Amino acid sequence: MTDMILSSAPAGPNPRLHAALAKARRRIVATAWVLASLSLFVGIWELAWWQKWANPLLLPPPHIFLTNLPDQFRFFDPTGARAGALNAGGSIWSVLGVIGWSSLRVFVGLVLGFAISLVVGLAIRYFEIFGKLVLPLVTMLAPISPVAWLPVAVFFFGIGNPPAIFLVFIAVFFIMVLATLAQVDAVPKHYIQLARVMGASKRQIYLRVILPAILPGLFVTLRMNLFAAWMVVLIAEAVGVGSGLGQVTMMARNTFNASLVFFTMTLIGLTGFAFDQTLGLIQRKVLWWVGPSTVKGA
Amino acid sequence: MALGLSITNLTKVWNADGPAPVPAVNSLSLNVARGEFVVLLGPSGCGKSSLLYIAAGLEQATSGTITFDGLAITEPAPERSLIFQEAALFPWLSVRDNVGFGLSIRGGQPQERAERVDALMKRVGLGGIGDRRPEQLSGGMRQRVALARALAMNPELLLMDEPFAALDIQTRARMQEHLLEIWKSSGASVMLVTHSIDEALALADRIVVFTARPGQIKAELHIDAPRPRDLRSPEMIELGRECEALLAEEVTKAFAEQELL
Ligand SMILES: Nc1ncnc2c1ncn2[C@@H]1O[C@H](COP(=O)(O)OP(=O)(O)OP(=O)(O)O)[C@@H](O)[C@H]1O
Ligand SMILES: [Mg+2]
Repeated sequence: MTDMILSSAPAGPNPRLHAALAKARRRIVATAWVLASLSLFVGIWELAWWQKWANPLLLPPPHIFLTNLPDQFRFFDPTGARAGALNAGGSIWSVLGVIGWSSLRVFVGLVLGFAISLVVGLAIRYFEIFGKLVLPLVTMLAPISPVAWLPVAVFFFGIGNPPAIFLVFIAVFFIMVLATLAQVDAVPKHYIQLARVMGASKRQIYLRVILPAILPGLFVTLRMNLFAAWMVVLIAEAVGVGSGLGQVTMMARNTFNASLVFFTMTLIGLTGFAFDQTLGLIQRKVLWWVGPSTVKGA
Repeated sequence: MALGLSITNLTKVWNADGPAPVPAVNSLSLNVARGEFVVLLGPSGCGKSSLLYIAAGLEQATSGTITFDGLAITEPAPERSLIFQEAALFPWLSVRDNVGFGLSIRGGQPQERAERVDALMKRVGLGGIGDRRPEQLSGGMRQRVALARALAMNPELLLMDEPFAALDIQTRARMQEHLLEIWKSSGASVMLVTHSIDEALALADRIVVFTARPGQIKAELHIDAPRPRDLRSPEMIELGRECEALLAEEVTKAFAEQELL
């Protein structure tokens, strides 16, 4: 009997503290694995350099392209005004500025893409005639790669932020419209029947039942398409904008600056990771209820 | 004019114009008086849920008439409330907001609504859990929340589709007691579908046994014994046997038909 009590009671005098410690331990273990994964990768790379398997000019190891920072910083110009030229004395701020511009383009494109695709998707189901007119179009445009839209973006928007944002928008818009439709169709029938029994109008059903029911699932889809958005923004920056991380990468390629290529790639990786983590956080804290496609009933 | 639910020669065929029409209910007539507790028993797939949906106004009958207090049922209405086997609470709302969902659709003073929700939660025995999320509740608690949500609309007819089927036997018994109390105090009519003969015996004024699909009424059994009922009394055991025999025949038929498919 006492055994049972002992084993079922949380170890330690304070169960809250115990839970917090357990959580912290899980975090540390998870972080350790991330670091181990990175170290393995870096280790092999450094080994290749040390053993002279790889040409250090083409494949400089991390300790080289991550240590000559002031040298790297010189290439970063948030405005892109001196693109391609070697400037004297860039700073960490200019690097952050470049990252900031790319991030802003992705962010604005994602927000617009998410919001407008949601509205269009809901409207396709809400207004029958609109749906019949628009859905075939969306389905036909969806498979076209955003890269193919690049000329269109430049024709319409010229050079600067708008074409880059437009391309990010295109990269998520069509997919998200189709995802919205799939989510709307997957809303449990009982939810809608209940709302109808309670006297809800069609509008109320869409706003108060269907919308909250589909949001978490859509957010997951958005998060999965985040990387496509990053890919597209880099292409847009390399070709049409003239600033941002994509421009720096392109310039590094054109000048055969392998160190700079890898340094920029590292920045892109870290920024993309931060975006993904942020979206994950929003998903857990704001849209905590589970999507209808994964949980039935309840 | 008949008070309560009145169903006359009702037929429901699913996909009536499609390539494979499914007759679910066939020329069925049934009355549920004001304040009466009717339990529907029948083999799986015989059209019980279809009938409930039609009574709720969510689906249209193919032919026949269905009225409540003399008025034809053509669309859903809050005074005819529906409860499913799974509570179908909205996971994005707190328990309190789930209970108050219908009231908020109807509009009105937030203050009044909040008081009413609190009173309802107490009535179903869930006083202190208004701020919790549905996912944090047990199955029995969820079903009580669903009951409170339905009661909030002051229903005159409660349509219940196997409401306790997913609960364990002890919880189920408590929920039945609970339902009886609420039924008595509210004066609503109840039409409840179940697969459990014991549940039917414990609850019903009248048990309606359906035939295999398409559903028709095979037999009606009146139970006058006062509640709470002792299901082990000779009278109840006899009634239970009768139900079982009636059902067994139809289940055999239903299976035979399914084997032909
Ligand atoms: N929305 C629908 N569309 C088409 N056919 C349906 C629909 N709902 C039910 N049916 C069919 O109608 C018949 C009766 O179904 P119903 O759900 O009413 O039976 P039930 O008596 O409630 O069965 P159970 O006891 O298994 O719940 C079944 O053959 C079913 O496949
Ligand atoms: Mg059913």
